[in-house]
Amino acid sequence: MGLARYVVLRVVWAAVVSLVIVTATFVLMAAAPNPAIQEAATQAALEGGDPQQAVERERELRGLDEPLHVRYLDFLTSIYTLEWGWSDHRSQPVTEALVEGLYYTAQYSIPWTVLTVLIGPLVGVYSAANMYSWRDHAATAFAFFGYAIPNFFFGIVLLLLFGVWLDWIPVVYRTDVAVFSLENARQLALPVFVLVTGSIGAVMRVSRNESAEFRDATFMKTAKAKGVSPFRAYAYHVMRPTLVPLSTTLVSQLLAIFLGSSLLVEVVFGIPGLGRLTFEALVAQDTNLVLGATFVFTFVAVIGNLLEDIAFSVLDPRISYDDR
Amino acid sequence: MTDEPLLRVEDLTTTFETDAGRLVAVDGIDFSVEAGETVCLVGESGSGKTVATESITRLIKEPPGHIEGTVRFEGRDLADCAEPELREIRGADVAHVFQNPQDALNHCYTVGWQIAEAIRIHEDVGRSEARARAIELLGRVGIATPGARIDDYPHQFSGGEKQRVMIAMALSTNPDLLVADEPTTALDVTVQAQILRLLDELKTEYGMGVLFITHDLGVVSEIADRIVVLYAGKVMERGSAADVFERPSHPYTRQLLGCLPGIGPPSAGGIPGTLPDPTDPPEGCRFAPRCEHAVEACFEGGQPEAVERSPGHRVSCIHYHDGYDESVLGEPPTRLGLADPKAEEDTRTGGDADDG
Repeated sequence: MGLARYVVLRVVWAAVVSLVIVTATFVLMAAAPNPAIQEAATQAALEGGDPQQAVERERELRGLDEPLHVRYLDFLTSIYTLEWGWSDHRSQPVTEALVEGLYYTAQYSIPWTVLTVLIGPLVGVYSAANMYSWRDHAATAFAFFGYAIPNFFFGIVLLLLFGVWLDWIPVVYRTDVAVFSLENARQLALPVFVLVTGSIGAVMRVSRNESAEFRDATFMKTAKAKGVSPFRAYAYHVMRPTLVPLSTTLVSQLLAIFLGSSLLVEVVFGIPGLGRLTFEALVAQDTNLVLGATFVFTFVAVIGNLLEDIAFSVLDPRISYDDR
Repeated sequence: MTDEPLLRVEDLTTTFETDAGRLVAVDGIDFSVEAGETVCLVGESGSGKTVATESITRLIKEPPGHIEGTVRFEGRDLADCAEPELREIRGADVAHVFQNPQDALNHCYTVGWQIAEAIRIHEDVGRSEARARAIELLGRVGIATPGARIDDYPHQFSGGEKQRVMIAMALSTNPDLLVADEPTTALDVTVQAQILRLLDELKTEYGMGVLFITHDLGVVSEIADRIVVLYAGKVMERGSAADVFERPSHPYTRQLLGCLPGIGPPSAGGIPGTLPDPTDPPEGCRFAPRCEHAVEACFEGGQPEAVERSPGHRVSCIHYHDGYDESVLGEPPTRLGLADPKAEEDTRTGGDADDG
């Protein structure tokens, strides 16, 4: 079957992409001066020792005296075996720190992704079905508002309004509440809302415009002539072809928000997730942790693009798998 | 009740609200279809043929469309039917085949799914039974190895095969009236003949009335029992196929026939002029501005009262009214090339080219 072969090829390609990224990272790291070595030299000079000797000792200690290809293979092995080193700033292994961050990031990322995927296309197709009605105009206004307003700013405004003035939701994020609890839902409501607002706009617009095209297609007349009800016609004959171009927008929007805005939103709402972890690691110049977090984001992007391509091929029966 | 035709359309007027004003696509036309006969609506593009047929079961979007008149189908007036009632009739009793099979099938679903959908909307049958019937129908309309093709998507079919699929879908619920809107226009000539022959066979087999729209008089001569000639939303002439082909009476009909190769002067390069603006139709006869025989009276009042030349053969031209001389219209064009339509059909379809 062509599809299975295509998926396998696409997965292999994704693996190659990840290898390229890891290699590029290694090259950059090898070319850049290592702050730990500088520090050792400074330390030795301050203590009256020989800076040159200290540098050599430090290089030996960190394995930097090995030939480049050996260091590259070591680097590859450790990356792909998930041995991503020690985080000086968090005093724990990098992977452990990342898993902790992911735990909090997932708690709001999963809800907003699910909400965007469910609500966006539905509202978009509804808008197309009722084009230029006040509901359509309201949806359009909401879409552009969410698209235009910076997420972190919107988050601050909402926090001020609902957290400080109205006092409906807690201002300080608490990590000691259960994941599936009302308290957790309350403290995550705003970040989820902010991110849904940011991501759903493009999804709504694309679903609306794509389905507007299919709404007037001849096959909709065929459906009507067959006796298909308007609801069924939209649910099957419009929604299904709309999903093909929409899958692209959906994945890219979710990725863009996940990789960019979630960092800012975590800082605004004080969620100790991946975004804030990265931010703090940057400030503390914790190279290993920054590297690890970057890898996580990169791999998410690679996997997202992989899923997007596969979804596109599965959804559009006209795509041939053989000539790509 | 018994002498009521299968479909009788009376004084059908369909208008559209547009930015340029009220567009009158169909202006008070009448026609009827008996069970088992083929009625051809003939006219050039823009004459209102498609709008007229899509007004029958109200496929026209309202608004901007607006449909007035009586549409009696099997003793019911469809004009009085509410949307849910019409939905029962669409597909089940009145089925459509559209011009461009390329766009008329949804590219995201298999043909089997789309045929089964038509069946399951109107009948309480299970998935597997609907599928079995879809396979049977595909075979009936001439798709080879239907069991293997049922799960193929439309893009895996040729144009002619797609139209066969459309016909299979239309037949799936055994309709009483089949509306075929230029079903062969988008197809190759060899495939056209095959599809026409298939429709003719199925008409007899299913005992359906067929309302066939076309601007191709060659096609009309092969299949029509009766002909309705439309121009700019008005009926110019109607009658049996023999009446219209042997004694074409309206200047428009004569000029249309003159456009056929083998009929009329070899230099005939179509009818000069264009259709009138449908938002501002001319006074008098709609065809008058393009008619070489138009006199002053042709530009006054409404469309001339239809005159019955022989039973069932009616012409809307002032020159057949009392006090006018029809001989100014000259002799009708002769049917040089269409002396024996059946013989011609045999040569056209003789090869039975593979359209797969």
